[in-house]
Amino acid sequence: MSDTNTSDWMDIQRKYWEAWSELGRKSMGLDNPPANPWAGALDHWWQTMSPALPNDQARDFMQRLMDQGKAFFDITDSLTKGLAGSNPTAEQGWGIFSKSLDELQKAFTSGQWDGEQTLHRLMAFWEMPFDNWQRTMSSLAPLPGDMLSNIPHDQVKNGINQLLSAPGLGYTREEQGRYQALMRRSLDYQSALREYSGFFTQLGVKSVERMRQRLLGLAEHDKTVESARELYDTWIGCCEEVYAEEVGSEDYSRIHGQLVNTQMALKQCMSVMVDESLGALNMPTRAELRTLQDRLQESRRENKQQRRELETLKRQVAHLLEDGAPATASQAPASSPPRRTTTTRKRTTAKSTEK
Amino acid sequence: MPAFPIAIRPDKLSQEMLDYSQKLSEGMQNLLNADEIDTGVTPKDAVLREDKLVLYRYQRPAEVVTQPVPLLVVYALVNRPYMTDLQEDRSTIKGLLATGQDVYLIDWGYPDQADRALTLDDYINGYIDRCVDYLRETHGVDKINILGICQGGTFGLCYTALHPEKVKNLVTMVTPVDFKTPDNLLSSWVQNIDIDLAVDTMGNIPGELLNWTFLSLKPFSLTGQKYVNMVDLLDDEDKIKNFLRMEKWIFDSPDQAGEAFRQFIKDFYQRNGLVDGGITIGEHEVDLKAVTCPVLNIYAMQDHLVPPDGSKALNGLTGSTDYTEHAFPGGHIGIYVSGKAQKEVTPTIGNWLNERSS
Repeated sequence: MSDTNTSDWMDIQRKYWEAWSELGRKSMGLDNPPANPWAGALDHWWQTMSPALPNDQARDFMQRLMDQGKAFFDITDSLTKGLAGSNPTAEQGWGIFSKSLDELQKAFTSGQWDGEQTLHRLMAFWEMPFDNWQRTMSSLAPLPGDMLSNIPHDQVKNGINQLLSAPGLGYTREEQGRYQALMRRSLDYQSALREYSGFFTQLGVKSVERMRQRLLGLAEHDKTVESARELYDTWIGCCEEVYAEEVGSEDYSRIHGQLVNTQMALKQCMSVMVDESLGALNMPTRAELRTLQDRLQESRRENKQQRRELETLKRQVAHLLEDGAPATASQAPASSPPRRTTTTRKRTTAKSTEK
Repeated sequence: MPAFPIAIRPDKLSQEMLDYSQKLSEGMQNLLNADEIDTGVTPKDAVLREDKLVLYRYQRPAEVVTQPVPLLVVYALVNRPYMTDLQEDRSTIKGLLATGQDVYLIDWGYPDQADRALTLDDYINGYIDRCVDYLRETHGVDKINILGICQGGTFGLCYTALHPEKVKNLVTMVTPVDFKTPDNLLSSWVQNIDIDLAVDTMGNIPGELLNWTFLSLKPFSLTGQKYVNMVDLLDDEDKIKNFLRMEKWIFDSPDQAGEAFRQFIKDFYQRNGLVDGGITIGEHEVDLKAVTCPVLNIYAMQDHLVPPDGSKALNGLTGSTDYTEHAFPGGHIGIYVSGKAQKEVTPTIGNWLNERSS
């Protein structure tokens, strides 16, 4: 295929997807055209298809494939911006590419993407570990994980802390104290969450630099990247490499520990308050249940041990009766293998011990 | 200035995008045809139940002569044991049966809040010991063989140290021993976590939290890239099923009984007690020098969960005079499910046991 034909053909394909995308966009009543037509077309196709899927499992799985497909398109689009459709010289190529990487680094550093959707999504790609944490916590917490994330607490934190340090007064002073503790722990958790999120932002900057170095390395060895998938895999490799280096550090261990610990402290505070309410309603509390669980397990442990000792004693008595001679307990220790005379080859029914 | 290395032709780029979209749309039908995902393919019988534990015995192929000493597979509390018997052509269990082993496996089940107070003593000196006694009684033998997998290997080591008179041979597979090797990310992350606070707060540790931790080891590959790669498999129903089986296993993560988790993280991960000593389970201290039976230690060279050095640390720590190591060229999961593992790992275990089971 000649370059002219190639270019025409690519234009037609692109227009085809743009037409699909535009059609879908209009039918959905959306105003802004997508920045990346490939991702946009995929999006609209998915919006049409997904309701037809018969179950949540298939829908969830396809959604994952869709999300990663869009990430794949976005990464390719960002890293090849200005290159497609042209035949740049080495100098032009490096110039255009460096500019793209600089834009990315700038966006990572400033946390702004100037309304550029693709760039935004590429940055969101770097928030993946952070996003995983948010989802996990949301599924475990009694309150939505992001409920407090939009409180501009850094600006008002000192004021709030001052307010929270005021002692409670009067008949409800204990209750006031619990609410104050809850608020303090919320603030601690939000601080830890922000530090965790900030850690990933600086990793994004480092990954962009690693990508630049990786491509320089390829160029020095006269190697080329010839497909979008190869480019995507190279980018993932750079991100994973930088990530592995950084998350093995003492600093990350501290940030990670702080995130988990502040979340647990907050959750514990919530549990205490829930218990207080349950107690007031004369319902069993978590603390009471745990006491019962501990005592029950202790009894079961003792019971199983006694049952075992009894079995051993029975065996020893049987042994004594068989031999017709007296024996001491020490001659048949509890751990000695029980004697067995029949085969169990056909035995398939489960033997049930204590439940 | 070096040549510019990105040489993606516009037509190729366009074609790739189209191919991806087409594969996705065409593959949807295959995905819908996948039906229920079956796992655990080898026929087995439940022979003992206690609380949520089920002890299974796998049915032996008629044409194979079975060894007289049974093999008890002790799996980790984390994730589910069907990984060892995932599908017809990827089954550690099947491979072991083929070498003549009489294979039993402990399925720990899914602990709930009622199991929160279970300790390592309950698991090791309780459940495992009762399974071992059941096998000794059933087979009329003094000692049995144990194969411990991952955390189950750590349990196997502790059990053998505490009950050496009941274990004939011990096989440890991708088992953490030194929990503080420099390349152990999990260990690094857990050092600053207040485990007491976590367990006191949550009771049991949710499986979702463990999933998050494991996926965080390689977040871009494990939660991103693999789904892009998956699209290439969408035209093959068998490959989709294989992928979905693995996906099911990854996210099928039981909660961890709180007290056992507390002790495991504090004693093993934070204090590195298997190497530095000082682990007490029940009333007795775990002394690896008490492990005097033959030991086969298998580790995976590309293991990102249990670094090879963490497993290899076992060498010299036991009192065994018959210690063998086997390095598998793969990862933590590949050691059960890869084609290479079927040819290499299970025959190695089977032959090693057969040589020592008479």
